Amino acid sequence: MTVGLTHYLALAAALFLVGMAGVLIRRNSLIVFMSIEIMLSAANIVFAAYSRLHGDLAGHVFVLMVFAVAAAEAAIGLAILVEIHRRRRSVNVDDLNTLME
Amino acid sequence: METFLFYLCGGLMLGAAAMTVASRSAVAAAVWLVFSFVCAAGVFALLAAPFLAILQILIYAGAIMVLFLFVIMMLQGPVLPAEVAGRTVGRKALLALPAAAIAVILISWAARGREASFGATPVTGTAAAVAELLLNRYLLAFELISIVLLVAIVGAMSLGRNEEGQP
Repeated sequence: MTVGLTHYLALAAALFLVGMAGVLIRRNSLIVFMSIEIMLSAANIVFAAYSRLHGDLAGHVFVLMVFAVAAAEAAIGLAILVEIHRRRRSVNVDDLNTLME
Repeated sequence: METFLFYLCGGLMLGAAAMTVASRSAVAAAVWLVFSFVCAAGVFALLAAPFLAILQILIYAGAIMVLFLFVIMMLQGPVLPAEVAGRTVGRKALLALPAAAIAVILISWAARGREASFGATPVTGTAAAVAELLLNRYLLAFELISIVLLVAIVGAMSLGRNEEGQP
């Protein structure tokens, strides 16, 4: 059986699952960030696969947009993380519960 | 051949992503993530997207992961033991349940469609072809994304600035 769209969609779904499990399970916010990057990668693969299916490069353009947004998200998110660490001496997401108390 | 390469790149990518999520230390997770992104570049190359494959390595495996490793290095001492053992296996399983449900929905949806095989002659996403679209039809999006990046730069600088009197 040749590799078709379904294979790539299944790969992306599995990657998204792994990333989502990471966001939900892990407590270290650095690893939570990495899991978000995995989920963005899964979305990129779907864009590229449909682009290949339709023979239209618009999907590639939007993968570029996702790259840019991911870079912005990582820069801002990690800066916030450094600031939180400076104030709270922790990057454990369970410790960041000021609004709950 | 293509089938073999797909299973090789896809399998390695998935395995490396799983190792990222499962790693105890943040440094190990970052290294696995770099590996996963390199495999993602392989998947892009299989999808006739050589430009994206190169950008994936330059931006993700290069720039973004260097940023991650720098932050890990800055925080390393206190971060590594911070992964508390407070969560029981049952609690973890409960948290993973919604992820599993969504995965089942996504995979069944992916498998439901007709056998959508790709056309014989792919439209190759070379730098020239993608730039043609990016600078004509999607020029507005291109300009807007540059504003997003500018705001990100300013925001990261103002957040990361070291105020006086602090270590």
